[in-house]
Amino acid sequence: MSTLIVTEIQKGAIREASYELVAFAQKIGGDYASLVIGSGVGDLATAFAGKGGGKTYVADDASLADYNVDGYNAAIQAAVAASGATTILVSNTPSGWDVAPRVAAALDAGFISDVFNHQDGNFVRRVFNGKLDAQVSAGGGTTVVTVQPGAIAPFEGSADGSTEALSVDTSGARAKFVETKVAEAKGVDLSKAEIIVSGGRGVGDPEKFPEVIQPLADALGGAMGASRPVVDAGWLPHEYQVGSSGQVVTPKLYVACGISGAIQHLVGMKGSNFIVAINKDADAPIFEVAQLGVVGDLFEIVPALTAAITAAKG
Amino acid sequence: MKILVALKQVPHQDARLDVNGDGTWIKEDGIKFEINSYDTYALEEALRIKDAGEAEVVVISIGPDRVTQALRTALGMGADRAVHVNDDALVGSDSLGIAKTLAAIGKEESPDLVFMGLMSDDGNASAVPPMVAELMGLTSATGVLKAELSDGNVRVERELEGGALEVVDLPTPALLAVQSGLNQVRYASLKGIMAAKKKPIDVKTAADLGVADAVGSGGAKVKIEKVYQPPKGDGAELLEGSTDEIVTGLVNKIKELGLL
Ligand SMILES: Cc1cc2nc3c(=O)[nH]c(=O)nc-3n(C[C@H](O)[C@H](O)[C@H](O)COP(=O)(O)OP(=O)(O)OC[C@H]3O[C@@H](n4cnc5c(N)ncnc54)[C@H](O)[C@@H]3O)c2cc1C
Repeated sequence: MSTLIVTEIQKGAIREASYELVAFAQKIGGDYASLVIGSGVGDLATAFAGKGGGKTYVADDASLADYNVDGYNAAIQAAVAASGATTILVSNTPSGWDVAPRVAAALDAGFISDVFNHQDGNFVRRVFNGKLDAQVSAGGGTTVVTVQPGAIAPFEGSADGSTEALSVDTSGARAKFVETKVAEAKGVDLSKAEIIVSGGRGVGDPEKFPEVIQPLADALGGAMGASRPVVDAGWLPHEYQVGSSGQVVTPKLYVACGISGAIQHLVGMKGSNFIVAINKDADAPIFEVAQLGVVGDLFEIVPALTAAITAAKG
Repeated sequence: MKILVALKQVPHQDARLDVNGDGTWIKEDGIKFEINSYDTYALEEALRIKDAGEAEVVVISIGPDRVTQALRTALGMGADRAVHVNDDALVGSDSLGIAKTLAAIGKEESPDLVFMGLMSDDGNASAVPPMVAELMGLTSATGVLKAELSDGNVRVERELEGGALEVVDLPTPALLAVQSGLNQVRYASLKGIMAAKKKPIDVKTAADLGVADAVGSGGAKVKIEKVYQPPKGDGAELLEGSTDEIVTGLVNKIKELGLL
C-alpha cells in the first residue's frame, strides 16, 4: 500500500495542512511520496522532501503558477501514475475540494472527504454538519481522501527525501485563473473585540438580532457576531460572520446563541479564551468546545441575562 | 440555453437524527425532508438566468418517492421540467455512483450550464459536482459566489478562506457548484405551485441510464461502516435550574473572568 500526499502552496510556502497530511500518511502506515505543484517551486519541494515529504514529485510549470482545476487535476493524475499510489491525500481546502473529486472520477476511484481521523482501518468524518460521525472504509482499489485542515498535528521532524521532476501536460486546461481578490476591509473588526455575542440560525428572525443579541453584546460592552446562515439570509452583513469564510476571533468571552457548532464556525472562534453556549439541543457540537453551557431557549436566557448584567453594572 | 440543476432532498435541518438499526445511517421514517440548502441557491441562480432571458431549467434528483415533493417545489419555483431517478438499486451508492447517474442524465440533456450545491447538509461530502463535471467532460468550479455569463464563457468568483475570492474564467458548457448565500432564494408562489402540477416529471431507473453496475452498495467503492454520536469529550459545564439560577451562574462566571 502506498500513499501520495498532494501538498498545497499558499502565499509562497507549503502550507501547514500539507505537513498534517504527512502525519496522516504516517498514521495510515506504509510508504508514501509527495507532490508539489506550482511554478518555480523546486526549492520548496526540496525543503519539503527533507521535512517529511519523502520522495517528492515536482510538477513545475509556468501554467501551474496559480491554482487551476484542470492543470492540478492533470498534475495529480500524473503523480499517481508515477508513484503507483493507491491512497491519495489532499487537504480539504478550497482548491482541494475543487480538484480532488475530479481526480477520483477520472481514476474511477473511491472518494472520502473531510476526514479527521483514521481508526480501525477506517476513515472517520463528520456528517450532518457535525451532529454525527461516520466511519468509512475504502474498497480494494484506489481511493482519494481529503483531510480536514487542523484535525491532526503536523509532522515537524526531518527525514531523508529526494525530488523528481514530473512532466505534466496542461495543454488541455480550460479553466483560466484571472485574479485573487482579498477580503475587503471590514467596518466591524471583530478580531479586536474582547467580548463577542454571536447569534446563529436558531435566532430565527432578522428582527431578533437588534432585539435580543445586540442588547446583550451592548450590556457586556462587546460586539455582535453571527454564523454564516445568518449572513447568507441577509439578516446581517458579511462583516459579522465568524468562521472559516468569515473572521477568526479570539475574544476573552464568546457567547454562542443558537449556533450548532459546525466545524467551519468552530475554526473561527475555538481560540476564544472562554466560550459560553446557549442552545436548546443538548447534543449540539458547540457544547464540546464551550466551557460553560446552557441547554435551553435563548429567548428566555438571553434577555434575562441582559437584564441581570445591566442591573449588576448599576 | 439549457440549464440543468441537480438537487438532493435531505433531512430537514432541524430534524431529530437517530441512528438506524444497523448503525449505518439515520432513521428516515417520521422525519421531515427538504431540498438541501446549498441546492436551493443553485436552483435560484438558474432561475435568475431564465428570468433574464431565454432558458429552459431542468431539475434532476435521485431518491425514493418522497423526492417528488422536492421536484414539485422546484417546478413551483419556476423550473420547467424534472427528471427523477427513482430506483431501489441506487440505495447504498457512493458519491461516484451518484455522479455517474447524474452524468448519464447530463449527457442525454447536453446542457449549457449545470448548477449544483457545494455540498449536502446530510453527507457533507462536497464530492458529486466535480465528479459529474469530470464524467461529462465539463469545466467546473466549486464554492461559487458569483457567476457572470457572456458569450461562451462564464466568469465565476469562488470563495477561498477568510472571505477572499478567486476569479476564474470557464468556457461553457460548465458546471458550477454554488456556495450558500450567493443569492436570496425565492419561494414558490401559489400560482407557481398550481402551474407545477402540469409540468412533467420523467421517472427513470439505473438501468434506463446504463449505470446499474456502478450504483448501489454493489457498485460502491467506499462504504459507511458505522454512524454514531460523536464521542463526548469533557464538554461544557452545564448550568441547570430556573432561568434565574442559570442567569446568576452566568453573571458569576462573567464576574470571575473579570469582565464585569
Ligand atoms: C466552505 C464552507 C464555509 C463555511 N464557512 C462558515 C463560516 O465562516 N461561519 C459559519 O458559521 N458557518 C460556515 N459554514 C456553514 C457551516 O457548515 C454551518 O452550516 C453553519 O455554521 C451553521 O450555522 P448555525 O449553527 O447558525 O445553524 P444550525 O446548524 O442550523 O444551528 C442552529 C442551532 O440553533 C439551535 N436553536 C434553535 N432554536 C433555538 C432557541 N430558541 N434557543 C436556543 N437554541 C436554538 C438549534 O438547536 C441548532 O443547534 C461554511 C460551510 C462551508 C461548506
